[in-house]
Amino acid sequence: MNFFRGAAVIAAKDLRSELRTKEALNATISFALAILLLFSFAFDPDADMVKQISGGLLWLVFAFSSALILNRSFAREVPNDCLDALISSPASGAQLFLGKAAANYALLLVVEAVALPVFGIFYDAHWTRQLGLLVLVLLLATWALTVIGTTFSALTVNLRLRELMLPALVYPALVPALMAAIQLTNVLVGSDTLDRENYIWFRLLAGFDVIFTLLGLAMAETVFVG
Amino acid sequence: MRNRVLYAFAVVSAALLAMNLYTIFMKLPDELNQGMIYRIIYFHLPAALTCFTAFFCGLVASAGYLTTKDMRYDAVAASVTEVGLAFATVNLVTGSIWGRIIWGIWWTWDARLTSMFVCWLLYVAYLMLRRAIEEPVQRARLSAVLSIFAFTDVIIVWKSIEWWRTQHPGPVLTIRGGGGMAPGMQAPIYWNWLAMMLLGAILVAVRMRQENMRREIDSLRREAYAF
Amino acid sequence: MDSRNFTFLFYGFLAAWLILMVYVVSIVARERKLRQDLDRLRSMIEERSNK
Repeated sequence: MNFFRGAAVIAAKDLRSELRTKEALNATISFALAILLLFSFAFDPDADMVKQISGGLLWLVFAFSSALILNRSFAREVPNDCLDALISSPASGAQLFLGKAAANYALLLVVEAVALPVFGIFYDAHWTRQLGLLVLVLLLATWALTVIGTTFSALTVNLRLRELMLPALVYPALVPALMAAIQLTNVLVGSDTLDRENYIWFRLLAGFDVIFTLLGLAMAETVFVG
Repeated sequence: MRNRVLYAFAVVSAALLAMNLYTIFMKLPDELNQGMIYRIIYFHLPAALTCFTAFFCGLVASAGYLTTKDMRYDAVAASVTEVGLAFATVNLVTGSIWGRIIWGIWWTWDARLTSMFVCWLLYVAYLMLRRAIEEPVQRARLSAVLSIFAFTDVIIVWKSIEWWRTQHPGPVLTIRGGGGMAPGMQAPIYWNWLAMMLLGAILVAVRMRQENMRREIDSLRREAYAF
Repeated sequence: MDSRNFTFLFYGFLAAWLILMVYVVSIVARERKLRQDLDRLRSMIEERSNK
């Protein structure tokens, strides 16, 4: 119980400081909307095309805009040596990791909740038809994004080339989860029904989440303290 | 002494490769459907096995570093990963050339090819990360963590031909439950694997000596600036 | 078909060896550079300690 309370304190602290300034959130939402707009110029999609590209489009938007939030997550702690203070606080590395991840998760979900209806309007996509399953995909894949992103954000926080290294690490590692999310979103937004082949992608997504959450928790202490 | 062992390895490796080339070209017939191009598998598959072995050694060495904090493990992990990456490149390029003949295309985004490409990118990122960190202890620690994360993708590459119906052929070796090849055609794959492992071992040994030199340079530099 | 088959087989083997050769050459080049650095540092330190 204590473990989760410690993580919750960290998450609450992060969310509070983010909601006071809203700097990362505003920047990320406007960035996500800008990419959605750019893609509609780039492809000028009709109904058939939307069916084919909706998954890829949505997840590229989410993946790219998430980099802003994930980068800020630890970079925010660097001035005034806040990170050192956090590390020397009673919270363990795993608690710190889980708290940070939970805060990032909440912020990413907010961004997605804004971007998804806008996507529906811009592209005339029927994303509400299988909303339950789509939300499940969003929750699972966003957690994958969060876990990988938070781990590598912690890994690169002290590097000179932080902003350059983070995308080079995050996107390759994310490919399996993104592939699954894109496939499933394509089917769900294109109003097809899921068949057996698609459930492999669900399994992959769930497995990815479990494995990388455990790895992240196990490695957190090493990453922060050494 | 150490050099002599390396030369011996090189001689054995070269002899094995020459013997294998003779078997592959002179003794084995063309494959029924693919013609002579199937012979690429004798480099494609052993290169993949060698690079996976190397990455596995990298995983073990990284875990070893994190538990013992001995810098020698870090040197092993760095050398092994770099050599593994060279063999991964051989695997990708030979596979692509085979695909041009058999599929008519250089590349396709099926699960096997994609995950292998991701694997390559991840270990390139590993080497990039090592370059980006100057402080040796921090470099060793963070790159060890990344190596452990990256290895999960090797498992995905390995399993991908069982989990998905890929355009890439399924298992061919009998030990993996594949039955695609006559036993006489399988043997040179193992021999070439052995030859490549020996070659890889030489390269790793040379790379490790360089890591030691680099560490000596670092300490000399510190000494030089301390004056 | 068969001659194209042969050409690509040749490309494949060539590529495999070329990649390994390039890697070996890069290792040798790095070794030389490291040696030079090491010698320079050693002589530098020796010079200073002689003063």
